Amino acid sequence: MIPFDFAYFRPDSAAEAVSLYQELARSGMEPVYYGGGSELLTMARVGNRRFGAVIDIKAIPDCTAIGEEGERFYFGSAVSLGAIERSGLFPLLGRTGARIADHTMQQRITLGGNLAGTIRYRECVLPLLLADAGMTVFTNDGAQSVSIHQIFSGRLDLPTGALLTGCSVSREFARARHGHVKKTKNEKIDYPIATVCALETDGYLRFAVSGVHENPFRDMALEEILNDTRTVPRLRADKIVEELRPGAVSDVYGSSEYRLFAFKRAIMEIFAMEREGAMV
Amino acid sequence: MEITLAGAAVRRKDARSKVTGTAVYTDDGRTPQMLTAKIVTSTCAHGLIRHTDISRAAALKGVCAVLTGADATMLCGPLLADRPPLAQGKVRYFGEPVALVIAESDAAAAQAALLVEVEYEPIRPVFTPSEALRPGAPLLHETLGAYKKVVDEIYPEPGTNVCDRIRLIKGDAQKALLSCHTVIDAYYTHPPTDHAALETRAAQARIDGDGVIHITTSTQAPHEVQKEIASLFGVDMGKVQVTAPFVGGAFGGKAGVDLEILAVLASRAVGGRPVRLANTREEDIATSPVGIGAEVYVRLGADNTGKFKALEMRVLLDTGAYTDMGPRMARAILADCTGPYNIEHVFCECVTVYTNHTYATSLRGFGHITSTFCIERTVDKLAASLRRDPAALRNINLIRPGDTAPTNFTVTESTLGNPEACLEGLKKLIRWEEGPIRQEGKFVYAKGLAMIWKTSSSPPDAGSSAVLLFNDDGSVTLQVACVEIGPAMRTTAAQICAAALGMDVQNVHVTMAVSTDAAPRHWKTVASMTTFLLGRAILSAVEDAKKQLRRLAALSMRCASEDLDVSGGRVSRRSDPAQYVEIKSICRGYKFQHGNTVGGRVIGRGSVTMQNLTTLDRHTGHGRAGPYWTVGAQAVEVQYDTTDHSYRLLRAATVLDAGKIINPEAAHAVVRGGMAMGLSQAGREGLEFDPSGRILDSSLRSYKVMHFSQTPEYLTQFVETPNVEGPFGARGIGEHGAIGMPAALANALSLAARVSLDELPVTPEKIWLIRSEKPL
Repeated sequence: MIPFDFAYFRPDSAAEAVSLYQELARSGMEPVYYGGGSELLTMARVGNRRFGAVIDIKAIPDCTAIGEEGERFYFGSAVSLGAIERSGLFPLLGRTGARIADHTMQQRITLGGNLAGTIRYRECVLPLLLADAGMTVFTNDGAQSVSIHQIFSGRLDLPTGALLTGCSVSREFARARHGHVKKTKNEKIDYPIATVCALETDGYLRFAVSGVHENPFRDMALEEILNDTRTVPRLRADKIVEELRPGAVSDVYGSSEYRLFAFKRAIMEIFAMEREGAMV
Repeated sequence: MEITLAGAAVRRKDARSKVTGTAVYTDDGRTPQMLTAKIVTSTCAHGLIRHTDISRAAALKGVCAVLTGADATMLCGPLLADRPPLAQGKVRYFGEPVALVIAESDAAAAQAALLVEVEYEPIRPVFTPSEALRPGAPLLHETLGAYKKVVDEIYPEPGTNVCDRIRLIKGDAQKALLSCHTVIDAYYTHPPTDHAALETRAAQARIDGDGVIHITTSTQAPHEVQKEIASLFGVDMGKVQVTAPFVGGAFGGKAGVDLEILAVLASRAVGGRPVRLANTREEDIATSPVGIGAEVYVRLGADNTGKFKALEMRVLLDTGAYTDMGPRMARAILADCTGPYNIEHVFCECVTVYTNHTYATSLRGFGHITSTFCIERTVDKLAASLRRDPAALRNINLIRPGDTAPTNFTVTESTLGNPEACLEGLKKLIRWEEGPIRQEGKFVYAKGLAMIWKTSSSPPDAGSSAVLLFNDDGSVTLQVACVEIGPAMRTTAAQICAAALGMDVQNVHVTMAVSTDAAPRHWKTVASMTTFLLGRAILSAVEDAKKQLRRLAALSMRCASEDLDVSGGRVSRRSDPAQYVEIKSICRGYKFQHGNTVGGRVIGRGSVTMQNLTTLDRHTGHGRAGPYWTVGAQAVEVQYDTTDHSYRLLRAATVLDAGKIINPEAAHAVVRGGMAMGLSQAGREGLEFDPSGRILDSSLRSYKVMHFSQTPEYLTQFVETPNVEGPFGARGIGEHGAIGMPAALANALSLAARVSLDELPVTPEKIWLIRSEKPL
């Protein structure tokens, strides 16, 4: 039972959604964009989130599209994690999504919801950061395409009322060799203690991390350390761990030191996959 | 007519409605006029209520009433009446009900609940028994000495946080420990856990124009609800009518009387209109009672041959803010404290302690998960210290017929069963001869064992009854009050009846809902005692009916009733079964040729209570806690990853001495279910509190119950040593699958990781923490 009233809208276009948002915001309705609802509904039910209106984006073609666009693959923001995995277009994104929540929820949780939600792990951003994804953001001025690095820093940073309609990655990155390692407290279906995604391009290993710090990130300076072949992998991993120590999170899922341990194991597994040619 | 035997595979009678989703549970039965009640809960773990303002909530459209502690001045509790249904002047745990809103709609109730304002003056909280026992610890109950004892045998210590203390003394453990060759000293902890039943608790109540209170509730104990409500509200028990429809899992968490009281208070406040009250998952975890936590000190001494000589045990139970069933679990732990081993010298003290956690109630195993974890970890430590095979060490110490149980009661083959056969069966099942440990690359494969036993620890007068009615077509309607909480108990009841009457179970009918109006009293559907207690009542009702049938048939067949047999829907001559009369032609009485009828309708009546049980002596623990034990042996095999300390559950095995299996599929299923629950507790479950006492994992997002995909391969087997007083020789098996799983898992992982895992749940981080002092 959601203990407050709210209005429901289902616009047919991104332009309509954005103008509706502004109109509702002006009249004090506190609107939110609505995809799968798994986060908004559950948080509203227990009183952790309030809104006066939801704008369901699942009737907007830009948000529900998925497929090839020339040399790029496009993923609408209202596409479910399950649909992304089944499409096989970007295997690393598919595998990452397939380890978020259980199978039932994967058919509800949307890409946009995972990126923009308040649950801090946002693991779907990891493959997108590695693939230098292009993000399509719709505002009053129409659609704009920007690099993910411009609008994601720990969390999505969009102007109020802007709508993320989708994102695209190049075929080259989508098909690059990659690895995904997720460590949880104990239960397989759980939030990450550490999730590491890695992607190899021209012999260079990119990686991004969720679970260790408050927010997920990709850090180019740490990638330099990771790829510094003058030192052995274990020492490289140790060095990155030292860099990460200051911001590591402690909570009921795991202490900061344990998260760093799990992270190091994940990095070592990525190295092992690379060494053994197990990255696919 | 096909005759259903005890031991035959019988499809559960509720299969179709459960599979098709048409089974009706408490909160499914909503009527249009029904109001909704919503609990307002405390945001403070320990504090005085300075001020409560209900005016904004009461003024909201659609709100019918708002109640606070001032509107419900009663105190309740099954052993000690220390719990107000709505907090009175003080809150003692985060999530405690402080007000109750009753409204026309769910929405209005939910909105109004947010508008009730409560101001607290915080008091320093205490969160562990040892903290609560320290001199100067803040008191939860200042008026502990003034509370009414519901049962005589509870011993609160006013001026402290101790709500009960009991000791068991057999021999002289202290002295015997001095002369032991090896003594293992250990300390264990088990946090409070949640029952996590699929169906969250729910209750509905209305009071009709004649003052009859009607309650529909998700309960394991409809007759206890009837009794408690009648007593709290000062009405005759006959004026309280309780219905228990299907219950979606209970695990001991629905054996108390909780939401029912609030539902009746709510209905009373709105002139008797029907009111529903259903927990959200978060309320079910934080507000309704949880599984008990514990801190346990163990000293186990053995001689140089490995024979256990003496056991000293001090158990501090975290009963949370209210007594509820804590002291009864203390007695259950006490009575079985040694595990199924013969130990000459035993000292055990159980102290039940208040803390500012959610209050605790029974949970599958009734304290035995904790005590078994402590004993079986200690036995493994002893085996390691003596360099003995853990299975062999267990074997030489098993309790056997003629030995005395901790409560000084001499066991027999019938009361005990055969622990040795269970252990031997288990060893074969998990291929113990291949060894408990091996390594392959980064993985270590290890097996851990646990021996278990449990008796009922019920009140000595717990009883059950059954009524058998014959329909005009000769089929039988069985009226019994066991609740269908999951393990097909009502189907088993029908099967016992059919087997005893020599009928097809298809012709023995039971309703799935239980109503206190129709079904005669059964204690509670708890303690793995239903098959035993209710089964005996059914057998006695069947005998009663058979006697009546034989008497009627004797008239018709002109012979002595002693010469007749009842079977196959007939009463026939023993000497010549071709001479018979059908039950359907005599069950309304015997009708002579010209229509005169004698005898009247056949009604079978059966009623039993526990026999020869005693309460345990406060100072020595001596007495008889249950009619028999169910013993068993369990094992878990894990694959442990030495690089990150994660592990997978490969196989879990249980061999129980079930006495006699009545419905094989149901029996295997209930044991597997217990094992799943035990493994989930072993590796995942534990309520976590922040420093202010707020529960951090009060939703299933963070309170992790083992996912189906993570379950191991289950191996279950039964030994059948008849319990001669049980129906067809049966023993209870409802809880036992769960009991040894945490011990077996911790033993397997302690072996695999070469650490001592003495704290539940066993998580990779805990292994890492101990291991991180050693180089990887």
